Amino acid sequence: MAGVTLLIPILLPVIAGLFVFPMKDAKARKILISVILVLNAAIVCGMAFTDGLRLNLWTIADNMVVGFQLDSVSKFFACIMAIIWMLVAFFAYEYIQHEGDESRFLGFYTMTGGILVGLCYSGNLITLYMFFEIMSIMTVPLVIHSRTKEAIAAGMKYLGYSIFGAGFGLFGLFFINRFAGGNLIFRPGGVLDPSLVEGHETLVLVVTLIMVIGFGAKAGMIPLQAWLPTAHPVAPAPASAVLSGIITKAGVLAIIRVLFYQVGPEMLRGTWVQYMLIILALTTVFVGSMLAFKEKLLKKRLAYSSVSQVSYVLFGLFLLTPASVEGALLQVVFHAIAKNILFLCAGAIIYKTHKTYVYELRGIGKQMPIVMWCFTIASLSLVGIPPFAGFFSKWYLATASLAPEFGALGIVGAAVLLLSALLTAGYLFPIVQTAFFPGKDYNYEGLVKTEPNAYMTVPLIILSVLALGLGVMPVGLTDAISGIISVILPV
Amino acid sequence: MSGNLLILFLVFFPFAAGLVNYILGRHSKAGRDRVAVLITAIELAAAIVLVAMSFETPTDLYWEGFAGFGLHFRADGFRLVMIMIAGIAWFFTTVQSIEYFNRLSSRNRNRYYMFMLWTLGATMGIFLSADLYTTFIFFEVMTFTSYVLVIHGESEKAIDASKSYLGFGVFGGLVTLMGLFMLKANIGTLEMDQILDAIKMSGANYGIILASGLLILVGFGVKAGMYPLHTWLPKAYVAAPEPATALLSAVLSKAGIFGIFVVTGQVLLHDYTWGLVILIAGTLTMLTGAMLAVFSVNFKRTIACSSMSQIGFILVGTGMQAILGEHNAIAVQGSVLHLVNHSFIKLALFMVAGVIFMNLKDFDLNKIRGWGRNKWLIKLVSGSAILGVAGVPFFNGYISKTLIHESLVEYIAMFPETTGMAVIFKIIEALFIFTGGLTFCYMLKIFTAVFIEKNNDPELQAEYDGKSKYTSVPVKILLVILGVLFPVIGILPHFTQDVIGEMSQHFLNGHGLEKEVAYFSWTNISGALASLAIGALFYFLIVRPCLMKKNADGKKEYIDAWNYGLDMEKYFYRPALLTVLPFIGAFAARLVFIVGDGIAWLYKSLFFINRPERFNPKEEDEFALYEKPQKAEKVPRGISYSLLLFVIGMVAVLYFIILVAFN
Repeated sequence: MAGVTLLIPILLPVIAGLFVFPMKDAKARKILISVILVLNAAIVCGMAFTDGLRLNLWTIADNMVVGFQLDSVSKFFACIMAIIWMLVAFFAYEYIQHEGDESRFLGFYTMTGGILVGLCYSGNLITLYMFFEIMSIMTVPLVIHSRTKEAIAAGMKYLGYSIFGAGFGLFGLFFINRFAGGNLIFRPGGVLDPSLVEGHETLVLVVTLIMVIGFGAKAGMIPLQAWLPTAHPVAPAPASAVLSGIITKAGVLAIIRVLFYQVGPEMLRGTWVQYMLIILALTTVFVGSMLAFKEKLLKKRLAYSSVSQVSYVLFGLFLLTPASVEGALLQVVFHAIAKNILFLCAGAIIYKTHKTYVYELRGIGKQMPIVMWCFTIASLSLVGIPPFAGFFSKWYLATASLAPEFGALGIVGAAVLLLSALLTAGYLFPIVQTAFFPGKDYNYEGLVKTEPNAYMTVPLIILSVLALGLGVMPVGLTDAISGIISVILPV
Repeated sequence: MSGNLLILFLVFFPFAAGLVNYILGRHSKAGRDRVAVLITAIELAAAIVLVAMSFETPTDLYWEGFAGFGLHFRADGFRLVMIMIAGIAWFFTTVQSIEYFNRLSSRNRNRYYMFMLWTLGATMGIFLSADLYTTFIFFEVMTFTSYVLVIHGESEKAIDASKSYLGFGVFGGLVTLMGLFMLKANIGTLEMDQILDAIKMSGANYGIILASGLLILVGFGVKAGMYPLHTWLPKAYVAAPEPATALLSAVLSKAGIFGIFVVTGQVLLHDYTWGLVILIAGTLTMLTGAMLAVFSVNFKRTIACSSMSQIGFILVGTGMQAILGEHNAIAVQGSVLHLVNHSFIKLALFMVAGVIFMNLKDFDLNKIRGWGRNKWLIKLVSGSAILGVAGVPFFNGYISKTLIHESLVEYIAMFPETTGMAVIFKIIEALFIFTGGLTFCYMLKIFTAVFIEKNNDPELQAEYDGKSKYTSVPVKILLVILGVLFPVIGILPHFTQDVIGEMSQHFLNGHGLEKEVAYFSWTNISGALASLAIGALFYFLIVRPCLMKKNADGKKEYIDAWNYGLDMEKYFYRPALLTVLPFIGAFAARLVFIVGDGIAWLYKSLFFINRPERFNPKEEDEFALYEKPQKAEKVPRGISYSLLLFVIGMVAVLYFIILVAFN
């Protein structure tokens, strides 16, 4: 029963989180959460070196099992999520002080950390769906933390979209169950039984489309994207950071599981559903960037940006080629890093100066140089400027999309990616410019340094080093991803 | 990592040293200044050593895995020429910038030196790159680091100019990237040496390759200031501090040319269409630049526009390389030499500009008029540079211009009779001669103004004449070196310029000159003289009568007669790209975006009953007495706890549903 160890990183934060709620002593709380999340990240990373762990926890009915398994995709997502979750926690200790009710926020935060690992470790679609729903609900308190009317409304919108989308997923689950002969375990290449599918190909394709759109709600894909720009500005900065950087990736994970582990890429390749999904992803990429370019509220701008950037990932997945999936998974990592930095920087600015609009940020780089340097690095990475990390994923995505088999759609795809990169530059670089180059008439004498303390800057610096380091030397990462691809898209 | 580690040093040392120097600068300003000079000196020395090492046999450096696909550098022929230019330009300008910034007591110098050194590293990376992936990485790094140099002054103009610079830079970079994507996706390699073979092997569609080439051209064309991507250039060159402008003009614009050379020599070799595009863009660039320069009444702006114009000459030569096909040795040599000559000439002229600004804080010809009358050293150096750029025989520019002109003449001679194309090429040749004349004309204009004429204000003139110490000895020495260089290599072309030309043939897939060019034959000299005569005529018949007017005191002064309505960027690019297109795009995007919200709204209005808000009658008795106590709009505590309970309920319900559904 070595498989039971799979439960440790799931249950540890969930149970610890329950103890966080009643804690009054801020210091003890900090220590508890830090220990738990660091330990959890260590366990998750350690588990990445084990192989073939599997656990059937609970058989609900004859073929309905709550089960976990450790495969390359689970390891990959769990490591990213656990590490970034841990880093953002440190930022959150400091930030959440000015919002109040720390124990509630941090309690839910800690618990969600465990739920996410559960989501990654899910061994079949039912377990994934359960954790998906729990995750949606657990993160609502993070969004509505300030309990203003606006926040509640945004939280409900978020919840509504999530549940609605996951409902699509559940709808598809029933069909997949039928065509797979009742076995929803995740198996590379899909579980559909060809003899059962025969004659119902169109139905399967439609169901796949519906499931992807449903789970795509979390990843901010059109048409269920609208919750992002509503929920992010009102949520506390650490919550926006993880919502945008990590929770959206849960949607990506669900889509990977559906496409590559349930339906199977062969089923989709070259069908109208594939093209439709590609077009949806590209539309999202453009729409997100365009609206971010027009937006003046910093956190909302970043939210639109997430809409666009996560769809880069989806675009890569929908192309279903090894190079494109490589690009997509790289983009998962790089976007998680860059977007967390950007939201945390926005949070640090709010925390220290209460400035929320982009036109208020003149000279902010002189006030908080470390924060804005991190912001700059993340911007460069997000736009895709070499040698920062984001460049590398976009390189893969665009060259994959230009492969001859996609013809004109591929060229349009690459062009949209670059247009979006241009818009990304257009909505991020002016912020950097006014921050660092306030102009000749800037009042240097009245300059007050407002650099936040190490709880905030250290996570930012670590993430920024990753944003540059993984761009310069991505070798280990690309190896891990190639491992995943050799499983899910065997040549 | 394998190969010649000196290359690695050359590229990455400035990055590391720049950072160290920044930290040093926080403690000691004087120390930082000295160390900055030392760093560029070390870099120059390393470049010289590398040239010595790799002159006979090329050396390579591979760094596998860097940025995913690895870096590949090579030190050979043309690349060695380029790193020498960069090394010299950086050393010279850094020596000057110490004095320059001290005299102007400029802010943010620490930042300037760090980014200046980083730009050096990036430039070395470009010039030594042996595959386009490497080139592109360093090209983008250069765009961003040099942006900080352009914006350095942070005046309104500098900020505006840097926006143009970065906007064009990012746009161009991304378009180039698209070209690289297409090339990579279709032929599978970006190694410069292998591209031509890969194109043949892969049997890729010619249209795709041409399209990739043209897309790649955009990014490099932006840096070079090629028409119609030039509009940032006069602004950015004028706004940047002079030592930085010297680098922009002498080296960074050549990084753009480097990229265009790669496409010419390695991707679209001997391609007529490509050649024609470059030739026409080049002709327009040289003409536009020269016209802008003639009309300018600002010393620095004239030199900046002149840079653009001279880049146009280089592009004409580059276009002819492709058009002439196999027999393009003369065009190869001409464009390479003009590149080299222009770099050193502009280095000298912008250093002179730096000296002027450091003393006068102005570039308006009417204000600085007469400043250099009795300053013999700087006068002679400027004169030498101006004669060089104007292509006066026995100065360096003459050699390269003659070669480019010769390549045009050679091609025209190949037409059997007067066809449509022949006429076009004849027009281009005439424009070439004419622009050469304009070069002489605008240089004459600024030289006369600063170094010959007297200022309209006699007191100011007396003040100018009284000041003899205008710059430090080291800068003077560097200026003299440059000033002497131009006639020397102009008189001895076979020992200097031919060597450089020969070194560069391989890079551009040229085959070397078939016979030695008789630079000083009467035909060539007379051509140059004709051009100069046109320039002199233009100066005396147009510039002096029309571009100078008598002011209230009856004294002639320079007037700014340029029609600023011709500003393409202000009246076309910016409105189109920043207002019209985003409006259309955002409109479309919003339409798409509200689809989801529309569904949500439908859902809400169908399934929820919206209770009308409770009406609170105003309490009139409180009116105007004091403000109502504000209630915090908070929903009662515990909603999140109820959500937690909801989770538990949800799981139970799910369990039930699943149980029913599957049994």
